[in-house]
Amino acid sequence: MINQILLGLSNGAMYSLVAIGLVMMYKVSGVMNFAYGNMGMFVTYLVWWLTSVIGINLYISIVLGIIFAALMGISVERFGLRPIRHLSHGSMLIVTFGVLMILEGLAVQIWGTEYKAFPELITGTPLVFKGDFGIIVLRRQDLLVFVTLTTISILLLLFTKYTKFGIAVRAVSENEEVAGYMGINVGTVLSFSWAFGVSMAALVGFISAPKVFVSPLMLLFYQIQGFTAAVLGGFETFTGAVFGGLILGVLEKLVESYISEGFKASFSLAIIIVVLILFPKGLFGKTLRRRV
Amino acid sequence: MLSGDIYLKSLNVFYGPVHAVKGIDLSIEEGKVTTILGANGAGKSSTLKAIVGGVNYTGSIVVGTVPIDGMPVHKRVENGIVLCPEGRGIFYTMTVKENLLAGAYTRKHAKLELAFEIFPVLKERINQIAGTLSGGEQQMLAIARAIMAEPKYLLLDEPSLGLAPVVIEKIAEVIREINKRGITIILVEQNTTLALSLAHKAYILENGRVAAEGKPDELMKSDVIRQKYLGGVRA
Ligand SMILES: Nc1ncnc2c1ncn2[C@@H]1O[C@H](COP(=O)(O)OP(=O)(O)OP(=O)(O)O)[C@@H](O)[C@H]1O
Ligand SMILES: [Mg+2]
Repeated sequence: MINQILLGLSNGAMYSLVAIGLVMMYKVSGVMNFAYGNMGMFVTYLVWWLTSVIGINLYISIVLGIIFAALMGISVERFGLRPIRHLSHGSMLIVTFGVLMILEGLAVQIWGTEYKAFPELITGTPLVFKGDFGIIVLRRQDLLVFVTLTTISILLLLFTKYTKFGIAVRAVSENEEVAGYMGINVGTVLSFSWAFGVSMAALVGFISAPKVFVSPLMLLFYQIQGFTAAVLGGFETFTGAVFGGLILGVLEKLVESYISEGFKASFSLAIIIVVLILFPKGLFGKTLRRRV
Repeated sequence: MLSGDIYLKSLNVFYGPVHAVKGIDLSIEEGKVTTILGANGAGKSSTLKAIVGGVNYTGSIVVGTVPIDGMPVHKRVENGIVLCPEGRGIFYTMTVKENLLAGAYTRKHAKLELAFEIFPVLKERINQIAGTLSGGEQQMLAIARAIMAEPKYLLLDEPSLGLAPVVIEKIAEVIREINKRGITIILVEQNTTLALSLAHKAYILENGRVAAEGKPDELMKSDVIRQKYLGGVRA
């Protein structure tokens, strides 16, 4: 049971990372990025190519990949979305769909559909703890995911609470027009949110790639689960995204182990529906009454 | 930093097919309080937004001798042109302090003490979430936040809206006080009595055009203007 929960938390932490990126882009730019998973997929291919084909050191390739991810996010927002911001929400969604299809097509064209093996980011034997509670096995991979999520969550918290630019990000996400009147360069904040968001997708790509292999659809499942996690968390706060992911991961693992593996896929859909009915603002959504 | 009087020269604001401001000319004297009055939809807010660069416009806006038309909003704020928008627009989910810090975004150091000196009540509520403040406190926060940007020109859009008489009196005092410190004020108001008591010069807009302009006492001498635009206020 404890091991199941640990495995669930490890999967869940990945969903949290996906959700954090989605929430950042959504909060600031108001756009649900359907191309999210594919953007991460494309960058993962690129890093695979840099390291396995060109032969550049894995960690340097990863840094290059993150830089590329940030630039890709900035470009899509700046040239694909910003020109049509004033039109409608729907038109922006369609652009992200377009990007989704273009990247998938490109990946297939360039790299084919064969699965590529991605090197492990961290190797070593699992850590094993024994005690009255039984035996707990913690894979290095899980450790990596936990450390990544914890670090990013803490940095994000400090950033949004205590830095000037972090406060500007929150101001823009709450009221873009008024944030502009404060002298905040809204364009810069939009760029930042997409650079950050797509970097998260890439990070999830790198961490999951050794397990799921590099393929055009590698992040589809994560995108869906990340979206579910974000909905669970209310789609507004990073705290919600983090806990939404962890809860989803554990629930999913328990369903898989104790009910049925086949039920796992439809499970997140069921969760979305139940949560939206019972808690329209998510489990962590704040309902704040605005006085006039 | 810009300085000098502000001139609006045949300023037009369009929202798609809606022609909200129709070629107005205004001069706003440095160091004074200028008020812009007019009925709902007359184009008052649109004029203020044009001055800070928050809407597209044609015509020209000149500060001192410098045309600022190509300047984006954040540059205008950096240069001391600051709008405190209609309906307050405070950041509801953020604390009082965070709102003030956001206001000081273009400045190296946030002069929080300045805000507390003008509105002591905000100091007691520094860590309160802004959305839970009372209406009057929210308006004070909105003005304090604008002051944090250290404006040379402060544009206030209906600061008295929906407030009780005592609070309006307090806001009026504050406007006088910040004007005394050398800040040029452009005040848009529905409360004509309040606006005329504070202003050195008034413009009355009607359907996007200037219907009348002059010193408050001159405007009030005219029975026609008093009846038609000023709701019959007496001096
Ligand atoms: N974003 C917008 N899109 C379309 N029309 C707009 C927009 N903003 C303002 N308008 C229109 O422009 C005209 C002038 O509006 P504006 O807000 O400047 O008036 P106002 O004098 O400030 O009125 P109020 O006293 O009600 O605040 C109105 O007819 C209004 O409907
Ligand atoms: Mg208005």
